[in-house]
Amino acid sequence: MAKSLLIISRQSPWSGPSAREALDVVLAGGAFDLPVGLLFLDDGVFQLAAKQDARALQQKDLSANLQALPMFGVDDLFVCGDSAAERGLNPKLLSLEAAQVLSAGEITALFNRYDQVITL
Amino acid sequence: MNVLNVGARAIELDKDGFLVELSDWSAEVASALATAENIELSPEHWEILELLRSFYAEFQLSPATRPLIKYTALKLGPDKGNSLHLNRLFKGTPAKLAAKLAGLPKPTNCL
Amino acid sequence: MSTLHVLSHSPFGDDRLTSCLRVIGAEDALLLSGDAVYALQPGTTPFDSLGTRGLRLFVLAEDAQARDLLTPDWAEAIDYPAFVELSIHYDKVNSWL
Repeated sequence: MAKSLLIISRQSPWSGPSAREALDVVLAGGAFDLPVGLLFLDDGVFQLAAKQDARALQQKDLSANLQALPMFGVDDLFVCGDSAAERGLNPKLLSLEAAQVLSAGEITALFNRYDQVITL
Repeated sequence: MNVLNVGARAIELDKDGFLVELSDWSAEVASALATAENIELSPEHWEILELLRSFYAEFQLSPATRPLIKYTALKLGPDKGNSLHLNRLFKGTPAKLAAKLAGLPKPTNCL
Repeated sequence: MSTLHVLSHSPFGDDRLTSCLRVIGAEDALLLSGDAVYALQPGTTPFDSLGTRGLRLFVLAEDAQARDLLTPDWAEAIDYPAFVELSIHYDKVNSWL
């Protein structure tokens, strides 16, 4: 039985390679048929802000990449509701519609559903 | 450096035969790339290449095999979105070969 | 299911400790290593939030000693072998990288 893996992505998409690395781990896990979940926490929720423009910084468009997650078999997508609210993001207007908004207590319970947790 | 000659144009390829400049792609370039792989593009091939280009436009990345199958099934139905059909068209490596012919970067998560 | 949360970044100017305390469960424990032990600086917000929280808290002794930080009675100073034992004791380890 494959071990399940929860990736916690907690950096902004523009702060460095961390957000992309988290996505790469998730996509690789999906390609290996591992049960993978992805949680956006802290500044990681900024990855889901609508209407970002990667071209302004000549970077690849991470938010477009994130939309592909369901295609890669990754359907367990979660957002920390507190992190979003603290940063003035409406959890209902995030760019990843499939993501479930979780409370702190629900995130604690989420940890218990996975065999391994990686925070990036 | 690999070069693909299409008419009067010399198009730059990387060591695996993928386009260096994605904007170099055209239908003629696709046909020339296919000829180099001993494939003659049929309407069935073209519909997958167009699908890949729309996948790339939407998600900014090249799909690995499974997402390619899933996306094809979603857009063209399960008769075409299955590994049998895609493997037959693209010599058993649909994610890699179809991405090449469609002028996409090599799939990074093609493990 | 229990998780050992491991922090190694300073709590000042960083959200890791705050977020960790927000989501840590009753069965879980927290280990402070590296600059994360600065959370034991008395009279600070991190110190107070840890002290009043009443969670299972471990501190890498050498990291605290190097920074001249005393381990309060609501925390337990441990060495590396004990760290290894802890990682085995808990179902999983979540390192906040």
